[in-house]
Amino acid sequence: MAEKADHETDIPSALDPAVLAGLDALPSGITIWRPDRRLVHVNETLRRTLGIAPASGELFDDFMIRLAHSREVVLEDPNRWVREEIADFGQEKSADYILAAGLVMNVTQRPTRDGGMAATYSDVTTTKRNEHALREAKETAEATDEAKSRFLRAANHDLRQPLASLKILIYSCMREADEETRAEMLHAMSVAALIMEDLLGALLQIGQLDAGRIKPRVTSFQLSQLFERLNIQFRHQAEEKGLRLRFVTPRDTVATDRALLERILSNFVANAIRFTEVGGVVIGCRKEGKLLRVEIVDTGRGIKDADRERVFDEFYRVTDERRSEKTGLGLGLNIVRRLADLLELPVGLRSRSGHGSIFSVTVPFGNIWHSEGGDAEISEAVAGEFVGVPVLLVEDDDILRRSMTQLLQRWGIEVHAAANEDEALRLARGGAQVRLIIADYNLTSRTGLEVVRELRKAFGTETPAFIVTADAEPKVLNGIREAGLPVLIKPASPPRLRVLMHNLLFEPEQIRRPD
Amino acid sequence: MTLAVEELNAQGGLLGRKFQPIFADTCRQTAEEVVGAARMLIEKHQVHAIICGYNIGPQNSEYEPIADAGIIYVHANTLLQHHDTIMSDPKRYFGCFMADPADYWYGPGFIKFISWLRDTGQWTPSSDRLAIIAGSKPYSIVIAQSMAAAAVDYGWRLCFGPKIVQTPTTEWRQVIDEVRATNPAVVANTHFYAGDLAYFQRQFMENPIDCLVYLQYGAMHRTFADIAQEASVGIIVSSVIGLLRDEVGKSFEARYNARFGEGASATIGCQSYSNMHHYAVAAAMAGGSGAPGDFEQNRRVARALKGMIYRSVHGTIRYHPDWQAAVPYPVVTHDPSLGMPHIFYQIHDHRKPLSMIAPEPYNTERFILPPWMSRRGGLQKPASANGLGPGRPAGGA
Repeated sequence: MAEKADHETDIPSALDPAVLAGLDALPSGITIWRPDRRLVHVNETLRRTLGIAPASGELFDDFMIRLAHSREVVLEDPNRWVREEIADFGQEKSADYILAAGLVMNVTQRPTRDGGMAATYSDVTTTKRNEHALREAKETAEATDEAKSRFLRAANHDLRQPLASLKILIYSCMREADEETRAEMLHAMSVAALIMEDLLGALLQIGQLDAGRIKPRVTSFQLSQLFERLNIQFRHQAEEKGLRLRFVTPRDTVATDRALLERILSNFVANAIRFTEVGGVVIGCRKEGKLLRVEIVDTGRGIKDADRERVFDEFYRVTDERRSEKTGLGLGLNIVRRLADLLELPVGLRSRSGHGSIFSVTVPFGNIWHSEGGDAEISEAVAGEFVGVPVLLVEDDDILRRSMTQLLQRWGIEVHAAANEDEALRLARGGAQVRLIIADYNLTSRTGLEVVRELRKAFGTETPAFIVTADAEPKVLNGIREAGLPVLIKPASPPRLRVLMHNLLFEPEQIRRPD
Repeated sequence: MTLAVEELNAQGGLLGRKFQPIFADTCRQTAEEVVGAARMLIEKHQVHAIICGYNIGPQNSEYEPIADAGIIYVHANTLLQHHDTIMSDPKRYFGCFMADPADYWYGPGFIKFISWLRDTGQWTPSSDRLAIIAGSKPYSIVIAQSMAAAAVDYGWRLCFGPKIVQTPTTEWRQVIDEVRATNPAVVANTHFYAGDLAYFQRQFMENPIDCLVYLQYGAMHRTFADIAQEASVGIIVSSVIGLLRDEVGKSFEARYNARFGEGASATIGCQSYSNMHHYAVAAAMAGGSGAPGDFEQNRRVARALKGMIYRSVHGTIRYHPDWQAAVPYPVVTHDPSLGMPHIFYQIHDHRKPLSMIAPEPYNTERFILPPWMSRRGGLQKPASANGLGPGRPAGGA
């Protein structure tokens, strides 16, 4: 073997064609260098993968320089790399390189026994990617696991507190004879249960967030609508504590997930009210270039510098908060942080201990043309021509009265329904102001004509009115017309009803006696 | 309609059969006249479909004989009541289609438009005050109500109205004085008769208020500019259905003028033209049209109309599955390929066609500050996107 090897080194071109074919078929690139650093052999695989390959007889040093400046390999400092490689010729070493094409190539070199060097060039892209993915997954899993454990320990602690109080209260309550004390205890029990309920609700939210089950749906909408909802939600809480709660309503369109932003803001507002004893809370906005910062400003006790970073951690409560009973769960701001991360919205906090805090979340502006106002819901009850028009309906048939009321309400009409003259008069005398009277003709004791007459007397004005009747007798119809009232024959079709009502209310000169 | 039928018949008609149009005059568009016309067409002429522009007087009374006969009815009535009628009994009214968005959409569309002018810095309003005057027709009242309902969410405060004025009228001075007392940043008049609105604008200009003026639909008509003349420059008007100024729209306008003479109103004619073409395609897809009483065949045609996204010369007709009315862009759909554009125009020169200033991507010109208004907050900035050329100088007349 030794003899043969010597022979081969001396005359590379004389390699057996079968050996050459075999070397070319190998999945890895191969180079063999003589002790004088000149190339003896390079196989086809390397030529194919590297895009640049040494020529037969080329000096190792020259090839390294050529390779370093070819940009085929990603190198931080090509000159230094060349120096090191030249120095390391014939040394045993192995390294991974990223190629311009994105592949990862492992280069392993070994000295040959005659003082030359052989090297293999293997594509390890898949292996490396898998390794990388595995390592990342492992790190994430470990971090999540650690976070979960910390979270569960804290949750366990916080759930145990109200649970312990409940157990004591139940035990004491069973023995308590005094009614008043018992009532107090029951109240305390309900508070403890409420805390547990809040906590479980918050845990569920966090669980959903962690599980990636909440997918944001970004739309453009009017911030004013959110402010209005928050105002309704928190007005009473603030009033109970004697705090001023003021929303400076913006006119801007923003683009983010509407429901999730509402949760962020409601957590901020709830927090502000909870930790403010005197003064108030103001919610407003500031433009910041292409973004809008929504600020929740309170006159509460403020947050110390030391706590500022940690208030967004789960179950974190500023130390002196733990004294009083129901001070919150320490989860609200953590939910805020998780939601804001999900929506990629920056949250901020500025505070001075004893002077109050300003929590904020910054949102991008939206496209006003795409803004989802309440306007996407088309309805006559919102903007039909009869919206808010008060109408007095006198109809003794229960079913008809109900269906007619439903139809009129669908058109946005404020319906005052009466089954007979007495009820109608009671409504009129009770202060009901109507713009139109609709009366059935055949009422139990009186005709619709008489009822309209009495009602007009009660109202003291010639309120527009019309009669509906199932009686198509010409005598009856003529009687109604002679009394100067328009008449519709039952069942009155909605379009005819509309036309008549429109004319009576808005274009009285259009009224012609129906023929 | 004539042009559409001629074009369709030249291409072979409906599966080899020629379309035969029969015209009925609805005169003043009262319930009696419109219902009478529908009855005559169905009973005497046995029509398979009724296709028309708008008849807003009868408040859907004409749906009854049409539903009884089970034929197709395509119109551009622009009425909110259509939604209520269809949704009250979708089976009965399966064949009734409104090929343009309801009047209702003018409200939120207009509020978004003025908010867009404000938020993009094209106009700096003197305040957040909005005055609304309404005509006494249901259409005007609905638009006024829906404007009022949408205003607050976009930062506008109603300082006047909606006040319903008995229309028709040419005497507006009293209501203009009442509006002036409230010092608004915007005044909208939702009455829609071209002549009446022209008098409104002339009387407004006798002592103009420092505010934007929006006039409903009728101000698009030639009559308006003819009467209002220079007083018309700067007013804003809009339409939820209007001929586009793109290749498709221009080609239609050229064919229309070639057929009916220069000065024919292609902007109005485009409505029944598109509705006829759309109906023809749907009937062909369904395998033919259906005579009165042939509910089954007409149901197939209705399904084809509903299922098809049809790009007409005035934008896309896509019927909402529940409303059987065209979906508006950009108020309901944000995708211009899926809705009919609510187009905003401004008169820049009363002798020239109106300038189409919104929405993208259909606009061809930009908003200018009306000549009667004072400039505040520096120069107007150009609208956000789209490589439009430099704007015209303010006050073209």
